[in-house]
Parts: sequence; C-alpha cells; structure tokens
Amino acid sequence: MSIIIVSSDSHELGLEIARKTAARLNYGLAGREILDKVSKKYNIDNKKLARVLEEPPAVWALPSKLWNRYMAYIQEAVLAELVKDNVVCQGLSARLYVLGISHALRVRVLEDPENEIAQLTRQGGISRAKAEKLIERRKNNRRRWSMQAFGLDETDASQYDLAISLSQIDSDEAVKIITDTVAYRRFNPMTYSISCIQDLELAGRVRAALLDEFPDIRVKARNGTLVVETKVLRREKKKKTEAIKKSAGEVPGVEYVEVHAFNDFFRQAAESFR
Amino acid sequence: MAIITISRGSYSKGKEVAEKICRKLGYRCLSREVILDASDTYHVPEIKMEKAIHDAPSILERLGRSRNAYVAYYQSALTREVLQDNIVYHGLAGHLLLKGVPHVLKVRIIADLSDRVRSEMAREGVGEKEARSLILKDDQERRKWTQSLYGADPWDSSLYDLIIHIKKFNVEDAVDFICRAAQLKQFQSGSGSRQKLEDLALASQVKAALVEQHNDLMVGCDFGNVVVYTGIKDRSSHKLEKRAKALVHEIKGINNIEVHAEVPAPPDAI
Repeated sequence: MSIIIVSSDSHELGLEIARKTAARLNYGLAGREILDKVSKKYNIDNKKLARVLEEPPAVWALPSKLWNRYMAYIQEAVLAELVKDNVVCQGLSARLYVLGISHALRVRVLEDPENEIAQLTRQGGISRAKAEKLIERRKNNRRRWSMQAFGLDETDASQYDLAISLSQIDSDEAVKIITDTVAYRRFNPMTYSISCIQDLELAGRVRAALLDEFPDIRVKARNGTLVVETKVLRREKKKKTEAIKKSAGEVPGVEYVEVHAFNDFFRQAAESFR
Repeated sequence: MAIITISRGSYSKGKEVAEKICRKLGYRCLSREVILDASDTYHVPEIKMEKAIHDAPSILERLGRSRNAYVAYYQSALTREVLQDNIVYHGLAGHLLLKGVPHVLKVRIIADLSDRVRSEMAREGVGEKEARSLILKDDQERRKWTQSLYGADPWDSSLYDLIIHIKKFNVEDAVDFICRAAQLKQFQSGSGSRQKLEDLALASQVKAALVEQHNDLMVGCDFGNVVVYTGIKDRSSHKLEKRAKALVHEIKGINNIEVHAEVPAPPDAI
C-alpha cells in the first residue's frame, strides 16, 4: 500500500517501467492520461497542459501566471490520484511537488546511453557526436525546466530514493528491484504519512480553486486547517483576507482558514509615486 | 562472483555498507590497500600517491606529468587486485578505473548533507560549521579530480548501475539491495567479461610501465594484443616503440605490442 513515483529522461522508458510495475503489484497507474481529465474539467487545450510539463514559465512561451495556474490544475489531479494509495505515478513530474511523504518511493530510471545514442542515430540519421550533443541538450533542458518551475533539479540523483541504470540491468529486473523495495516496511503508509498526503491534496485543491482570482497565493494545509499566504497593499488587506477566507472555506474538506497577508513593498512603492 | 564498486562522498556510510556486504557475501573488501600496493610496486611515496589520488590537481599539476603516472600506477594495482573477483571496492573512482568491465556492479551511495555533517561532528569532534565546510571541500576536491582526469562528473547518475539514497533506506537495506543486484547474471563473471578484465589489467600494467617517460599515451588491449597510442610521431615515439617492445619480456600475458602514432585512440583505451 504505497505510492511509487517513476521518473526518467525518456518518457517511453519511464512509462514502460511504470506499466510493468503497476501490473506486477496490481496498482493503479497515473500517467499523462490525467491531462485529459484536467483538460475536460477546466476546458483547457490538452496540448497546452502538455507544454506546461515540458517548458518552463517564460514571457514568450506561456506567461508565468497562466503556467502556474495550469500546473496547479495538474497537481490537483495528480494528488487526487495519489491520495487513493497503491498507485504508480509517471510522466507528471510528481517527484518535484510530492514532498515529505514517507510511503512514496521515488525512483529514477536511466536509459542505457549507448541504446539512446543508437536509437537517435538510427531514427534521425545523425552522427554519434550529434546524438550525444542532443542527449546532453535534452538533459540540460529538463534540468532548467525543473529548476525554474520548482527550484529542484529533476536530474539530480539525490532527489530520489533509488536510481537504476538500464545499461546492465534490464527493465524486468529493474521492475523487480522496485517491487521488492516497495515491500520494505518503511514504505508502508503510516497514520502520519497518510495525513501528509491528504494535506497536500487539500492544499492542491484549494490552490487550484483560488489561483484564478488570487494568482500569488501559497497554500499549506494541516488536518483541515489551511494557511494561505499572499501579498497585499495595506489598504486592501482586510478585503482580500476576507475574500480568500470565503473562497477557500467553500472548498470541501476545509475546516478553518488562516490568511497571512504580507506587505507588497514593490506595489506599495510603485503606487506611492502616483 | 561479482566485483562491486561503491562510490560515495565522505561520511555517506559507504564504507559501512561495503564492509557489511563483504561479511554477507564472503567477499574481500578493498580500499586503502590499493594505495599501499601501488606505492610498493612502483616505488612511490605513499603520501604522494594518496595526494595524487585524492586531491584535485592544481593548475600547475594539470600541465605537469606526474599525476597521470600516479593514476596509472593506481589503476594497475587496482585491476591486478580485482582480477581475483568477489571483491567490494570502496576507494576512489572505481566506476571509472574499472570502466568497460561488464561484471562490475557500480553503486553510488548518497546521504543527506545534514546526516553527513552530524557523522563528521561525532567522529572528528568539530563544530557544525567546520564539519560542513570540511565535507563540502572534500566533495569539491573529488568532483574536480574526476572532472580533470576523466572529464566526467562523479555526480552524473549515468556512471552507475544503482544509486541508493541512505535516508529512507538504512545501511542494512542498502546492503540487501546491493547483494541482490550482485546475484543478477549480468554481474557474474563469464569468459567474455573475465577476458575484458584481464585486458584492462594488462593495458594498465603497460601504461604504468610507460607513462612516466611518455605522458600523453593511451593503451588498448584485446585478447593480450596491446596497442599503444601516442600523439606525435617524432624521436620520442621511436623511443616509446623500443621500450614497448621490451615489455613483451617483462610483463606476462602480452601476445603482441604495437605503437601507433598520430592515430586517435578508441573510446575503450585507457
């Protein structure tokens, strides 16, 4: 009864490992099909959601407020799946936002570099040197995406509990290693860890509900109590605090809302010159 | 019958893991002995050997020749030791010095910095700030060393078969993993992988014998046929050829030895 988060540089490889692991353990699989659900719920083009998971927020791609909102919707959907337990999650960068959950096994699966190079040279008709450069560029892009999006390096092995390279170990053996690992007692959910994932899920729902109206909020939850942080001008503090409390209170599962409103110095300074 | 290399930062419990694996599998544990062996065989002071293997090269050293020689000596001593199989090696750069040998299981152990700092404080009796500074400096040195000599980042996950984060896992879990992975058939020595190891050992010995006078050479070996690659065809390459031919009588296992000047070395040459 655990959560397994599979990350890989190669989406196809990660999906193969995730599928086999889920089949072997009889777990559910949470993958990119979640984007369809999010697309239907919020009426957003599926391609835009997929871009959120590939491109960091930037002025010339998706503007950061829109990027944050779409990412919040994806996180909401992912956490709703993970809270059910017995699930393998892949392709949704869950490693970067499912933090502090002791019964989540975070695994990174690495493609055999020679295999990768051979595939690229075969498919693209490019030289080995070009294939190596392409692989390096992809890795750097991924690193940049995760640093800009979450301040964490997705390619850093220390972000995971286990990293398995498929240069010598084959995929079935890698699946066996993962399924044996998750059987360890420390990956059994405890009352506290279940509570942590429920808190994350609640915070995710509230954030998704509020981001449209309040784009700068941060939300933390603990046993039904929410702490929402936001920046305000002095004159709008009371009004905004009450609006947030009202909106957040309407989300099912929320028992109490505390709003921490910090002075927005830059806006204050900008407005004082008017 | 595998060879297991354990790479880790200081105080990452790598040594503890290695020793427990040895007890569990009945393997031999190897680390500092390689430095002693290399110092003895090549008549190099142990302190110089240790410095060359451990510390990142300074700018002057990068231009100089001696560090390459020390690494060649170390690699020769290490490959000679691991020929016996059933070994756990937890010294420096095992994953790079034994590259290309299929039945080597390359493992990296990672621990959180805060845990490592606590271990260092307990062991060395220093304060938190000093412990942190020592560990970070050590990590930097190891990183620079590997990058300067091999152009590889030791933190690059693709260099290893398995990376284990000692946080949720404890030492016993890590030992269990590694022992199970070592039983996989890919990590059992067969005739092919054994031959590759023997070739690597032979190439290392030849390089160690030649590198002091000829700093820029690379050595490849295939079924006892040794090829020495050197950059420039001049008087020194003729000297090298003469010296190389003499090695056939000095080093056991060489079928044939050739020197190729101005020919790019293959990727598996050392």
